[in-house]
Amino acid sequence: MEQAQINQVEQEPETDKEQIPEDGVVIRIEHLKKSFGENQVLKDINLELHKGENIVVLGRSGQGKSVTIQCIAGLLEPDEGKLEVLGKEISTLNEDELKELRTKIGFLFQSGALYDSMTVRENLEFPLTRVLQIKDKEELTKRVEDALDSVGLKDAIDKYPSDLSGGMRKRVGLARTLILRPQIMLYDEPTTGLDPITAREISELIVTLQEKYETSAIIITHDMPCARITADRIVVMNDGEYIATGTYDELAKSPDELINNFFK
Amino acid sequence: MAAVGEQISFATQFGRNIFRNGFEWNEFLHQCYVVGVRSISLVAISGFIIGFVLTLQTQPTMKQFGAESFVPGMVAISIVREIGPMIIALICTGKIASSIGAELGSMKVTEQIDAMEVSSANPIQYLVVTRILACTLMVPLLTVMADALAFVGGWLGVNTQGHVSATLFFRKAFAALEFSDMIPAVVKTFFFGFAIGFVGCYKGYHASRGTESVGLAANSAVVTASLWIILLDAVAVQITNLLYY
Repeated sequence: MEQAQINQVEQEPETDKEQIPEDGVVIRIEHLKKSFGENQVLKDINLELHKGENIVVLGRSGQGKSVTIQCIAGLLEPDEGKLEVLGKEISTLNEDELKELRTKIGFLFQSGALYDSMTVRENLEFPLTRVLQIKDKEELTKRVEDALDSVGLKDAIDKYPSDLSGGMRKRVGLARTLILRPQIMLYDEPTTGLDPITAREISELIVTLQEKYETSAIIITHDMPCARITADRIVVMNDGEYIATGTYDELAKSPDELINNFFK
Repeated sequence: MAAVGEQISFATQFGRNIFRNGFEWNEFLHQCYVVGVRSISLVAISGFIIGFVLTLQTQPTMKQFGAESFVPGMVAISIVREIGPMIIALICTGKIASSIGAELGSMKVTEQIDAMEVSSANPIQYLVVTRILACTLMVPLLTVMADALAFVGGWLGVNTQGHVSATLFFRKAFAALEFSDMIPAVVKTFFFGFAIGFVGCYKGYHASRGTESVGLAANSAVVTASLWIILLDAVAVQITNLLYY
C-alpha cells in the first residue's frame, strides 16, 4: 500500500500575483456552449472560480464535465460563450499567448497521462526543460526531487510508469503538473479507478498541495468522499447545465431527488 | 475536404516547428536510431533477396536471347531505378509508418499528447518534427544499403548457374549505370521517407479516442503511405523522363 507521506517543503511557491484579476475571479465562464455534431454537450454553462477556491463539479457520466475543463485548458474550442482565464478571454489568444497562459494552468488527467517511454524523472524534467528552459542538471534534479517529495514518491524517481500502481501514477502526474507552479489546477476525475484508501489519500493530497501552492481548482468527480474532502463549493451538472451550487452540507440537504441521489 | 484541410494545417505546423528554437536533437537522434538502425536487418535481408530472385528470374530468359552478359547491367538498372527504392519504401511503410501511427495513436488515446499540450510543451516539435525528419533522412540511407546488398544477391544468383567473378559482375553492373539513373532514384527516396513519416504522424496524432483507434491509425498509416509512395513514384518517373530522356 502506498505511503501517504506528505512532506512539507520549505520552498516558497512561485505564484505570479500580477496574473490574478482585481476581483479575484481566476476563471469566469458565461453562457458556454459546446456541441459534437448533433450532440449538444454543454448547453449553458456559467461559473466563477475565485482565487484559492476549490470547486467540485458533480454529475453523471456523459454530462460534459470533462468537456468544460478541456475548454478551459484550450484543448477544445467552445462554440459560443465567454471563457476568461486569469482575466484573458481564451478565444482571443493567439498560439503563443495561449501557450503562455497554459503555464499558469495545471491539468491532472484521469489516467495521469504519464509519458510511458520516459522514467518518472524524465517525465518531470520534460516541462522544466521545455517550458522553463532549465538546463542545469543540479537544478533539474533538485526541482524534480522536491516535487516528488511533496507527493511522497521520491523513491520512484527512476522507475517507469508501467512499474507504478494507479495511485502512484496519479501522484506522479500531480507532481509533474505542480512542478510548473500553476495558479489554477484542473482535476479530471482524480480518484477514479482507485481503492477507497488511495482515493482518500489523493483527495487529501489535493487539499494539502492546494494550501501549499495557493492554487485554485476545479475538480471533476463523482466520488462523494473526494468531493467532501476537497470542495469549498460544489456545482451539480445535469444535461449540459449547472443546476445547483452550494457547500457539501447544503447540497446534502437538498430536496431535489437528482441532487440528493449523489449524497445517498 | 475537411481531411485535406487538416493535413495542410498539420503540414504547416510541421514546417513552422522545424525552424523554431529548441530543436529536439536528442529525440531526433533517437528516432534516427529507431527508424534506421532497427530496420537494418529487415531491409538488408529484403535487399539481398530482391537482387538474388531478380537474377534467378531473368537469367534464363536472357540466356535464350544470348544476352546473358547483360544480366548484371539489367539487374543494376532495375534495382537502382525502380525496384530498390519502391520495395524498400513499401517495406519501411509496413514497419515504420505503422509503428509511428500506433505509437502516437496510443499517446493520443492515453492523453499523453494532450498532457504535453496543456503543459505548454510543444508536442509537434517533440513528436512530429523529429519522426518525420528521421524518416526523411533514414529511408534513403536504408535504400542505398539495400541496393548494394541487392547487387551482392544478384552476383550470387548469377553464380548459381555458372561462375562469374565478383569483379566482372560489379564492373558490368556499374558500367550500365549513369548518374541519371542514380540521382533521381535517390532524390525520390527522400520524398518516400517524408511521406512515411508524415502519414504515420498524421494518422497517429489524429487518432480518435478508444483503443480501437490505435489499430485503425496504424492500419490506415500503412495503406495511405503505400498509396502516397506509388503516387510519388509515378510523378518521379514522369519528372525524370522529362529531365533526362
